[in-house]
Amino acid sequence: MSDINNGVGVIDDDFNPAAAPKAREAAGARAAAWGGKGLAVGIGVSALIAAVGIVLWVMQLSGGMVQTAMRNLDSWGLYITMFMFFVGLSAGGLIISSVPKAFGIRGFGGISKVAVMSSIAATVAAIAFVVVDLGQPLRLWELFAYSNLGSPLMWDIIVLGTYLILSCVYLWAQVQNEKGKVSHTALRVISVVALVCAVLVHSVTAWIFGLQQGREMWHTALLAPWFVSSALVCGTGLVLAVCAGLSRAGYIEFGRDSQVKLAKLLAVFVLVDLYFFGCDLLTEAFPAAGGMEVVAMLTSGPLAPFFWGEIVLCAVAAVICLVPSLRTTPLLVVASVAAILAILCKRVQLLVGGFQLTNLDLAGPVTPATVTGWESGLQGAYTGMVYWPAPIEWGVALGVVALGVMIFLLGVKYLPLRPKQD
Amino acid sequence: MHYGFAIDQQRCIGCHTCAVACKIENNLPDEMWWNRILTDGGAEMDIPAGEFPNSTIEYVPVNCQHCANPACVKVCPVGATYQDPETGIVRQDADKCIGCRMCVAACPYTGVRSFNWEEPQFMLGMDLGDADAPKHQKHTVEKCTMCWHRVAKGEEPACVEACPGRARIWGDLDDPESDVAKLVASRSKKQLLPEKGTNPSVYYLV
Repeated sequence: MSDINNGVGVIDDDFNPAAAPKAREAAGARAAAWGGKGLAVGIGVSALIAAVGIVLWVMQLSGGMVQTAMRNLDSWGLYITMFMFFVGLSAGGLIISSVPKAFGIRGFGGISKVAVMSSIAATVAAIAFVVVDLGQPLRLWELFAYSNLGSPLMWDIIVLGTYLILSCVYLWAQVQNEKGKVSHTALRVISVVALVCAVLVHSVTAWIFGLQQGREMWHTALLAPWFVSSALVCGTGLVLAVCAGLSRAGYIEFGRDSQVKLAKLLAVFVLVDLYFFGCDLLTEAFPAAGGMEVVAMLTSGPLAPFFWGEIVLCAVAAVICLVPSLRTTPLLVVASVAAILAILCKRVQLLVGGFQLTNLDLAGPVTPATVTGWESGLQGAYTGMVYWPAPIEWGVALGVVALGVMIFLLGVKYLPLRPKQD
Repeated sequence: MHYGFAIDQQRCIGCHTCAVACKIENNLPDEMWWNRILTDGGAEMDIPAGEFPNSTIEYVPVNCQHCANPACVKVCPVGATYQDPETGIVRQDADKCIGCRMCVAACPYTGVRSFNWEEPQFMLGMDLGDADAPKHQKHTVEKCTMCWHRVAKGEEPACVEACPGRARIWGDLDDPESDVAKLVASRSKKQLLPEKGTNPSVYYLV
C-alpha cells in the first residue's frame, strides 16, 4: 500500500502553489507546455522510479519469479491485485467526463479532459501490471496469433486495448471539438461508445475472477456489477483528489459547484458498493454452508484487517461527502483518498481470498514451490494471510505506479488539458 | 475414446511409488510433483484422524483429473492448455505457455498445476526417465500429461505400471470391455469435487 501513498504523494508534491503564478506566465508564453520546476522534477522523479522498476522487472525475469512471494497454491499476487485496482481507477475519469456528454446534461466544468488523462494513465499502468506478472512476456505476440476467444483473459486484453485507444481518441476529440474541428454530435457518439466500453472493461476484469467455479470467493454473478461500482468509487475519488491538487496549483478551475457534485456522486457510489458487499455477504452466509468460510475469513479471519479497513474507510468517505458542513476541499481530498484506499483493501481481499480457501484441504507433500509460507507446513501457511508480497514485487509495482504518474504528468505538461476559456 | 484412471482406495497403501515413478519418468525438476499422495485424515501427512482405536485414514492420490469439462482449457488465452479430441487427455504445451497462470487459478483441484518459478533444477545433474518426456521450461505451467509420450507408444502411464498394489488402473473409459470401464461400472466410486461440474476422468473406487 505504501507505493500508492507514494504515487499520490508525487502528484501532490509537484504542484507547489507558490510556483503557480510563474507557471501561469509560462503557460501564457508557450501554449503547449505548462508547469514550473515542480512539475519537471515530478516527471523526472517518476521517470527515475519507473526506470528502477524496469531494472527490477528484468532481474525478476532473469533470476526467476521464485524471487516473488507467489507460489503454486497462491499463484497470483500484488501485480494482479494492482491490475484490478488500476482498471478500477481508470473508470472514474472517463465516466465522469463522458456521462454528461452522452446524456446531454451539464458536466463538471473544466475538469473533463484532465479526468480522461487520468483514465489513460491508469489504463497504461493496468496493462503494465499484467505484463510484469507474465512469466514469458516475450511470448505476448501469441495472444494475437493464437487467441483463444473463449478465455476471459483474452476478452480483457481486447477490451482493455480498445479502452486505451478509445480514451485517447476521446481526449483528442474533445480538444478538436474546442477548436471547432469535431462536431458536438460526433463527440457525443464517441462519448457513448467510450461509456459502454468503460462499463465493459470492468465487467470483463471481474469475469477473469467471477467465471471461475473453482474459487468459492470469486464465483458470483454479482462480481461484474460490483467491479463497476468499486471502479466508480475509486475513479471518482481519483478525479476529485487530482483536480483538487491541480486546482491548487492553478492549472484548472475546480469550482465549489463541481466539487460538491463530485462529492455527492462519490457518496452514492460508496453506498452502492457497500450495498453490493452486504448482498454478497448475506448470500454467502445465509445457507450456513460453504460460503460461511468466506464470511468468517473476511470478518474475523486472516483478511479481517482489510475487510474492516474497507468498511471504516468507506464510512469516513461517505460521512464527509454527505454532511454539507464537512465538504471543505481538504476534507474532500481526505474522503477521496479514503475511498481509493478502501477499494485497494477490497482488491486485496478478493485476490488473497480466492487463494486462502482451498478445495482439497488434505495433507500432502509440501515443497518450497507449493505455497508462500511452506516452511511452517500447509496448516501454518494458511494460518495468516496465505500470500504477502516479496520486496521485489513492491519495487516492480512501485515502478509501474510511477510509470502511470509520469504519463499523467507528461499529459499535464504538454497536452492542452486546460479548459478553453483559460 | 476417452482415457481415464480408476484408483482403488481400498488397495492404495500410501507408498508414494506412483509419485516417484512419475517424477523419474518425466524427469521432473526439484520441488515439483505432478502426482501427489494426499492423506485424508489428520493435519499432517500419514497421520490418521481421531483417537486409537477409532482412528481413520485414507489415501487420495491426486494428479491432473483430465476433466471431460476442463476449467483450465476454457481460460487459457493462447490455447497452450487444450484437450486432445481423440483421447480426452488434457494437454499442456510448454512452448506456447505465456506464464499468465490463469489455468492455475481456474483449476479447482488444489495443487495439480505447477509453475516453474525459476530455471528448472535437477538433483542429479543429469536427465532421468524417458527421452520422449516433455522438456521443462522456466516460467511455464506444467502438470500430469497422462504420460502422453508413453500412451502414444501404446504403453500405460508410468504411475499405473509402477503401483505395487495394483491400485491404479488406466484405460479407455468409453470401451465397456476395458478393465477401467468394468471397474468403474461395477464398483462404488466417486469423483473429486463433482459439484464443480468438471466431470473428471479419474474415478476413485471406494
